[in-house]
Amino acid sequence: MKRLASFALALAFPALVLGWWEWESRQGLGHAYAFAPLEQIARSFLEMLADGRLALHAGASLQRALTALLIGGTIGIVAGVATGLSRVLDRTASPLITVMRQVPILGWLPLVALWFGNGDGAKLLLVSLSAFYPTVLNTQKGMQAIEQRYAEVGRLYGFTRSQSLRMIAWPSALPLIFTGISQALAFAWIATIGVELLFSASAGLGTEMMAAQVAARTDIVLVCVACVGVMGFTLNQLFALLRTRLLRWQPATAK
Amino acid sequence: MPMPSRGPAPSRLPAMAIRIAPIAGILILWEIAALSGIWPRQVLVPLEQVGATLLALASDGELARHLSASLYRLASGFLVGSVIGVSTGAAMALSRNVHRLLWPTFSCVRQVPVIAFIPLLILFFDVEDSFKIVVVAMASFFPSALATHDAVRDIPESHREVARLYRMPTAPFLVRLILPATVPQVLTGLRLGLTRGWLSLVAAELLAADSGLGQMMEMGRQLFQIDVVLAGVFVTGLIGFLLDNSMVRVERHLSRWRTA
Amino acid sequence: MTDHRPLRGPATDKAARRTGAVRISGLSKRYAMGGKAMTVLDDINLSIRPGEFVSIVGPSGCGKSTLLRLIVGLDTDYDGEIRLDDTRVAGTGLERGLVFQDHRLFPWMTVAKNVEVALLNQKLPRDRRERVISEHLALVGLSDFGDAYPHQLSGGMAQRAAIARALANEPKVLALDEPLGALDALTRVKVQAELQRIWMEAGTTMIMVTHDVDEALFLGDRVVVMSPRPGRIARIVDVDLPHPRDRASPLLHRLKDEILAELTREPREDDGTLVTFPGRPRG
Repeated sequence: MKRLASFALALAFPALVLGWWEWESRQGLGHAYAFAPLEQIARSFLEMLADGRLALHAGASLQRALTALLIGGTIGIVAGVATGLSRVLDRTASPLITVMRQVPILGWLPLVALWFGNGDGAKLLLVSLSAFYPTVLNTQKGMQAIEQRYAEVGRLYGFTRSQSLRMIAWPSALPLIFTGISQALAFAWIATIGVELLFSASAGLGTEMMAAQVAARTDIVLVCVACVGVMGFTLNQLFALLRTRLLRWQPATAK
Repeated sequence: MPMPSRGPAPSRLPAMAIRIAPIAGILILWEIAALSGIWPRQVLVPLEQVGATLLALASDGELARHLSASLYRLASGFLVGSVIGVSTGAAMALSRNVHRLLWPTFSCVRQVPVIAFIPLLILFFDVEDSFKIVVVAMASFFPSALATHDAVRDIPESHREVARLYRMPTAPFLVRLILPATVPQVLTGLRLGLTRGWLSLVAAELLAADSGLGQMMEMGRQLFQIDVVLAGVFVTGLIGFLLDNSMVRVERHLSRWRTA
Repeated sequence: MTDHRPLRGPATDKAARRTGAVRISGLSKRYAMGGKAMTVLDDINLSIRPGEFVSIVGPSGCGKSTLLRLIVGLDTDYDGEIRLDDTRVAGTGLERGLVFQDHRLFPWMTVAKNVEVALLNQKLPRDRRERVISEHLALVGLSDFGDAYPHQLSGGMAQRAAIARALANEPKVLALDEPLGALDALTRVKVQAELQRIWMEAGTTMIMVTHDVDEALFLGDRVVVMSPRPGRIARIVDVDLPHPRDRASPLLHRLKDEILAELTREPREDDGTLVTFPGRPRG
């Protein structure tokens, strides 16, 4: 009974919003311009699903985000390990990263466009940069936070430098590295949509949204917004699963 | 107890120099590359030209116009978004029914990056100021609501029990207990909201605006004025840094009791 | 868990042991704290026979943990001399092991992998290495838990796994720094019996620091009683009772009263409570 009540309340709010939306859409042509009727939104969704447009754009965005995650994340982890282990590198690279990071990712866009054009390469560069920051920062923090307790065990058993690195530093940094990657995943997804909105070329959900906006197709924009949300959420959940699997040595509370 | 004076002053200067050295190095390399003429000067602008452009923009009021437009949007959007965000978050944490009503929708919509709402918001609000304010408000709403919700929910049960034990009325309960216990976490949420707001505002201005730093950079891009774009990048970064830094200071100031 | 299997272990034949003698002479240790020199250990002289079990008790601040760290070589800055079988101790080495109070198993490795850590820098063929690991897991009664991660073990099991790791490379001397200090009273009594069996099977020289006089007496051939500030040996008590021992033995009770009297001779606010309380030590 109680569960039913909370379920009803959970549905009440969206129902209210949808009802209001539908009502607005019937208030003459001027309103229907922004408030596409619900039925039309559903129809557009099915249409885009059927003719493969949704899959095409979603696939392009996904591929862009993941490729950039791979590039930016790899460079970020390598740089994080290097700056985490070497003080010289830390002192050289960290101020640069800190300064660069002050500029919002999309603020680089006009410059990148002028230097590298607005093709896929420029997009990939910016999205990779957005994935780079969180991975490098978290990896570095992880490598620097090696617990003295475990380092002593290494000393007891005569660990070489490479053994300490492989068996103590790297695994103890892993949870933070994973945190970095999961942040990078979220940032890369946001940045992907952002660059697609701003560089309207080739396929992608952002590009499609922008085109729909120009054509005043609220229904298509909404379908894309929902798609962006669902995909972002799914990516996040999948990564969390992967993390739990790979870090199964962690006690449940530590996550 | 008298504090022993630690860390002799002279050692601070080299430390600072070491931190600045890599940045200075990059800038010098930039300058050499720009002057060498390997790339056209239009593409790799010498630093003094960027500086001159920045000064020119500053002295003829152009920069002030864009900057004030951006800051106005940021301030009003952030104010609206964070006030609604903090109150929504607190309401969701304090009332079970509000939580049931809003939380599922909240956690759904939260999954969508605010940037993705830009085309939709353009359709609703056109490209006027209100559109950009709404973008900033949305961007700062979610982090502040979430942080407040978590902060209030995380207040230890023992605190509430103490309040009940002393039969504390609601108003002092909120002011003397909930507020101080949640301040640090809420401030972190607000800081995140401000950063997100700034990021989204720049994106929105790049996309559709007649003024603002983003628009200034976009115009620079269209007119192939790299010096203007670089000046914009510099100012954008500086503003981002100042915003974040000042929020960190406020946070530290208001959370003194934590470490004290 | 407490069954006494026939004496058969990785390092057999305790009687034949000739190595594992520790000779500490004129050992002193000073720290500089806030510009002032503090003497932690003052003129420690102690000679330990091969295969002997020596317990060290004393109140907080008597430097007993520091003594173990010096023997093991985690700390090399001291005056005087520590010799293992006539070789001067300098730095850590595989012939000296240490069990910490917190088990310090690597949480990212399974129990078996953690035991393998001790064998990494010994040139052993793969199959021999596997055998040593399973022998030592069996020794501490964890044969079924080789694939478990440390967080899946109880406190007592984790500490036993740590002991298996420490013994796997067959050190001549094993130092134990309050190995059971973090366990609850009941588990503690069980693991004490386990430790006694393991020591009898492995035949390794063991030096154990503890807060618990009962524990020190139950396990030790000798009990070294230390006094604090600066850390000195106040007394050495011989426990002339064959292993395995019976807790109820009247001798143990008489010796306990003597040691407690020694420890509480100069009443200080922290002595009495800390001696027998099986909790975490301060510092």
